[in-house]
Amino acid sequence: MKKSIFVMILAVFAFFSVIPASQGADFSGKTIEWIIPFNVGGGSDVWARLYAPFFQKYLPGNPIVAVKNMPGGGSIIGGNYFQTRVKPDGLTVFGSSGSTTFPYLLENPKVKYDFAQYKIVFASPTGGVAYIKPDLGVKSVADLKGFSKPLAYASQGATSLDIIPLLAFEMMGLKVKAVFGYKGRGSGRVAFEQGEVNIDYQTSTAFIENVRPLIKLGQAVPLMTWGVLDENGNIVRDPIEPDLPCMPEAYEIIFKKRPKGPAYNAWKAFFIAGFGVQKAMWLPGQTPDDIVQAYRQAAAAIIADPEFQQVVEKSLGGYKQMAGEHARKAFDQVLEVPTADKKWLINWLEKNYEVKLK
Amino acid sequence: MEVVFQSLAVVLQPHHLLMLICGVFMGLAIGILPGLGGIVGMTILLPVIYGMDPHSAFGLLIGMVAVIPTSDTFPSVMMGIPGSSASQATIMDGYPLAKKGEAARALGAAFSASLIGGLFGALVLTVIIPIARPIVLAFGSPELFMLALLGMSMVGVLSGKKPIRGILAAGMGVMLGALGDAPAVPEYRYTFGIDYLMDGIPLVVVGLGLFAFPEIVDLLIKGRAISEVTTLGRGWWDGVKDTFSHKFIVLRCSIIGVIVGFLPGLGGSVVDWIAYGHVIQTSKDREKFGQGDIRGVIAPESANNAKEGGGLIPTFLFGIPGSGSMAVFLGGLLILGIQPGPSMVTENVGLIYTAIWSLALANVLGASLSIALSKPITRLTLIPFSFLAPFMVLIITFACYQATRSWGDLIALLLMGVVGWVMKQYGWPRPAALIGYVLSDNLETYLFISVQRYGLDWLKRPGVMVLAGIIFVSLAMGIFFQTKRTAATSGGEHGKKAS
Repeated sequence: MKKSIFVMILAVFAFFSVIPASQGADFSGKTIEWIIPFNVGGGSDVWARLYAPFFQKYLPGNPIVAVKNMPGGGSIIGGNYFQTRVKPDGLTVFGSSGSTTFPYLLENPKVKYDFAQYKIVFASPTGGVAYIKPDLGVKSVADLKGFSKPLAYASQGATSLDIIPLLAFEMMGLKVKAVFGYKGRGSGRVAFEQGEVNIDYQTSTAFIENVRPLIKLGQAVPLMTWGVLDENGNIVRDPIEPDLPCMPEAYEIIFKKRPKGPAYNAWKAFFIAGFGVQKAMWLPGQTPDDIVQAYRQAAAAIIADPEFQQVVEKSLGGYKQMAGEHARKAFDQVLEVPTADKKWLINWLEKNYEVKLK
Repeated sequence: MEVVFQSLAVVLQPHHLLMLICGVFMGLAIGILPGLGGIVGMTILLPVIYGMDPHSAFGLLIGMVAVIPTSDTFPSVMMGIPGSSASQATIMDGYPLAKKGEAARALGAAFSASLIGGLFGALVLTVIIPIARPIVLAFGSPELFMLALLGMSMVGVLSGKKPIRGILAAGMGVMLGALGDAPAVPEYRYTFGIDYLMDGIPLVVVGLGLFAFPEIVDLLIKGRAISEVTTLGRGWWDGVKDTFSHKFIVLRCSIIGVIVGFLPGLGGSVVDWIAYGHVIQTSKDREKFGQGDIRGVIAPESANNAKEGGGLIPTFLFGIPGSGSMAVFLGGLLILGIQPGPSMVTENVGLIYTAIWSLALANVLGASLSIALSKPITRLTLIPFSFLAPFMVLIITFACYQATRSWGDLIALLLMGVVGWVMKQYGWPRPAALIGYVLSDNLETYLFISVQRYGLDWLKRPGVMVLAGIIFVSLAMGIFFQTKRTAATSGGEHGKKAS
């Protein structure tokens, strides 16, 4: 008798101790806040709003997923809020973009968030295509060998995503003057059309819609793509423009050798942070495993959903979205940049653009 | 041409019409609430449009944004508080009219001017869409800098008899605008380690602080109703007649509105001031401006509605928003799966005409509803202000808190409010400070880009020279009429003394 009571109590305890774990991965009746550290209507906001209804559909218990915009300080304010205020209960998640990752990599003293602690749920890549004015006599990237005419590029700032084009151009031996002060890639493209600058790049969706017509009219010559990451972490050709070389190939065409050294290492790390895994969803570091798994499974199911694939085709450039481990592996390449390469880049920024990062 | 009427048929379908009406009602409400403008409206509607068909979504979004500059006139005229950034200049003469008990007349003029301006904007959009690309491309950074300078040149006429104060106030505004992240270098200015200041002080806070706060304080000190007379005087129909007797002002200011709207990067928040400055500059009899001249209401109101039509052009054709609300609208396009770009004119031309028809219909609906509402609402000006003040304080703090949703908004509002009140007490022109603040970023960015790119050669560009000529003429006209007037008045006084 005593024994059976003991067993019953044990069973009850066991039951209750199991419940919190299984309840943790059930979000019925809950509201999940997805912090986006940018304004409504921006690229990251649109990205989150495209994903949100699908998380609602695939997370256990079908919770409401609400996008919460927390703009400011170039996304640092939202990131710091996530680091300092958010409980690891799976009810608040964070969406980062390249502009969030860059200040983190450049060790901006205002940054309090730390991606190394967090659990990644999924990541979305994007691509970029560089192009040039036709009147410079360049027909393809091969003509850039020894090209010495002065070029101008419309930039948002030396510590923005423009690190990727500026460093790529420099590695290829181009003399590109960065004109700072443009408000975004859109105004950069208009400046290119106006002739205010003569070399530019656009992210793939904008490229398809706005630059391909220019190429058809003979007002722009495509040079190269930055490339995309394959499963093994190599940079390969971008499926948007499969006929164009990706950046490492372009380098090889010009210099007859593969790029290496600190410049390329730094370029690659920032390329992955800015394009390869440009946007990612994060859970706080202490989040219990079952919640993390629930999120990652939901993300995998979303990516497999044919309805969502249409959204990807139409609005996210058609790039292969990465869930769970795949995203983690890709982002690890960002986190594992050798300090020496990072130092090299910081030094390069200080030397070329008089940027003081500390 | 066929597409134009096909789109009209689409817009007139019950479902789309319903969406449009929802949008219009929402826009009217947002316009009436001080400090809330197109950005807030777009932000609220953006989550709703997910999964909608683009035509219905356009009805909703454009219906909303088109009528904000119509209904935002209510608080501007009746309480001297900007209903949104588009109606700041309307205060200058609209509010004195309300004090004289002529609120209904001011509103009638404002709404009819808004209607004509809005329809004009839609019309221009129709005509200009096929040829808009080269026009937008003609304005490079140097030209945009000159346009910002043209905006600054309005400071002169807006600061009345003490131009030096106007220039100082404008300079102060420019400094205020320089707070936070610098437009062209990765640096933060004057943030004193406070996170709130990293993005500068938001426009809503500056606008409400400078204009609404001092007004509330003064009305409370005087302890009476807004209207200084107890009868409401002439009705809205007189206002409509005023608009028609000043039809050329309406036309000129609508053109100004469209141009400011479709030039990306100039920002819509100065269009009302530019129109207001323009009408003073081109008027020979200026004594009554600032004391309740109906032309001072008609000019900004026709321009601010026309601006919305213009603002759609860069958003559709280049994917670059001309104003804050258009930036959110652009996100809405992407959510709907529409990539703005040159193909909008070829493949999605039906959508563009849907936008235009929605714009036109919304303006008609918005203006009629506002006129219908104006009679009961004008009675508010007869209520002792101590009853209204708590609501007004609540609404403006709420509106400011919307800006970044941090404590900083409220503290900044209080500080800006005190600055505004002191300026008002000592007769320093607040519009000049506001124009400086709004144009600060443009002035710096475009000058910076021009000099980086062209050295001093940017001065030799034909567009720059033409705009320099316009600035010179407008300044000269201002000074010429000013001296003529001073001569006339002093002559008059002299004559009186002699007699």
